[in-house]
Amino acid sequence: FVSYNIVNLIKSAKIIQRQTHVPSSENISNLSMNSDCTQVVVPEEVFFTIATAGILENLLVLIAVIKNKNLHLPMYLFICSLSVSDMLVSLYKTVENILIILCKMGYLTPRGDFETKIDDVMDSLFILSLLGSVFSLLAIAADRYITIFYALQYHNIMTLNRALIILAVIWAFCAGSGIAMTIFSHETATVISFTILFPFMLIFILCLYIHMFLLARSHAKQIASLPTRAVPQRVNMKGAITLTIFFGVFLCCWGPFLLHILLMKFCPLNPYCTCYMSIFHVNATLILCNGIIDPMIYAFRSPELRSTLKKMICCTRWKLKEGF
Amino acid sequence: MSAHRLISNKTSPQALPNSDYPLEYEYYEYGPVSFEGLKAHKYSIVIGFWVGLAVFVIFMFFVLTLLTKTGAPHQGNTEPSEKRFHVSSFVADFGKPLESDKVFSRQVAEESRSLFHFSINEAEHLGKVKQSLKAPGLDSNTRFQEGPRSSGRLEEDLNYLPKFNIPNFVNTDQNSSLGEDDLLISEPPIVFESKPVIQTSHQILD
Repeated sequence: FVSYNIVNLIKSAKIIQRQTHVPSSENISNLSMNSDCTQVVVPEEVFFTIATAGILENLLVLIAVIKNKNLHLPMYLFICSLSVSDMLVSLYKTVENILIILCKMGYLTPRGDFETKIDDVMDSLFILSLLGSVFSLLAIAADRYITIFYALQYHNIMTLNRALIILAVIWAFCAGSGIAMTIFSHETATVISFTILFPFMLIFILCLYIHMFLLARSHAKQIASLPTRAVPQRVNMKGAITLTIFFGVFLCCWGPFLLHILLMKFCPLNPYCTCYMSIFHVNATLILCNGIIDPMIYAFRSPELRSTLKKMICCTRWKLKEGF
Repeated sequence: MSAHRLISNKTSPQALPNSDYPLEYEYYEYGPVSFEGLKAHKYSIVIGFWVGLAVFVIFMFFVLTLLTKTGAPHQGNTEPSEKRFHVSSFVADFGKPLESDKVFSRQVAEESRSLFHFSINEAEHLGKVKQSLKAPGLDSNTRFQEGPRSSGRLEEDLNYLPKFNIPNFVNTDQNSSLGEDDLLISEPPIVFESKPVIQTSHQILD
């Protein structure tokens, strides 16, 4: 995992520091008995369940979009890209858990060349999927923005070919960044750029959505100028709730992990930071939960996609019944 | 030498208890951390982070709802109606003062009619624009290359045109190319049920 690489290099850099702490090395076990923060362990069954649910759900979204010709549109392409990145995150976590289990059973040595190479590949895959997730969210927001503000020229601006090109550029950039960040994971600049990228992207997406929201509000005001009052409150409350859900989910799921990376880089020996880092597995579980929640708030909001899924489920049920 | 012992301690899994090996490994990597003399609670960063996050999300929600409340319906209702009343009363000064109400209501109905006609016209205009793309692509212009495909989309768009359910405030369907008119079309039909003008326009869209 990312932590292993960074931790390896922190360790090699601080080996001299540790020499001064040698006399207390025997007290490590004693210290661990005292009021320290032990690692909060999440059972692996929970990991596997959540990761598998995430993979299946995103796979359903992908199959629904591929099967239904009506959904071959730029907007659904971006939602598919989000589903792919969420699926990659869940897949990564599953493979990592399998590797850890293999380590425990002794089939793999934790320091071997092969294992570190696999570790590197997994790290770059994780960063790739993380960046892909954020850029897909940005693409979805930009697509909706163009839909609302350039409504009549939308079909000319956002053609299917352009959407595919945009996606190709995004994923190439994410792959390159993933590999670069894995290679240079010990540099401070990597960690800082990684953690700064997220707030910037988030603020940009927030600005897009707030602009759309303000337009909705001005339209609601126009409607409010007509005699009845019930409509605009409802429209804008829904908009406010939707926006809050989008950003709340993103912040709650990715925020803890980003803070973990920052703390790991800048204060690994501080007891407060160590206590925060001990809940790492809970943070990783939150990232998996993001993979489950994202299809619900992006993909399944579309009535067309929902009806496609219902048809698929009904068809398989009918086929099963026919089979029996 | 002692560093080697430290390393050898960490790399020998058999000495460790039967908990997760990589977890212990990660823990030992951080070196001896003394937990004595902590002024605040040891999980203070965790608690502080989550409390801060919750406060931020709630704050964002309240800011958004406040945005909806400024220019609130009663404000928005009174301002233009007051304006119209002043205009209509000014006009009515030369006529009968009783007709100011009728003038006001007529203006309101006219405006609503015009809003819906505008949206219907937009829909027709959009249809015409798309039909113009149906022209056989004789040149290699990409716009015309997309003609046949967009014509296929035209039918499905016209099919979806009436289905304006907005689960969120942004219509995520492709038929939302009407964009800002969506909000005018989808929400009011529930409200303006009694108005015959709007009913007929809604039937046109259905």
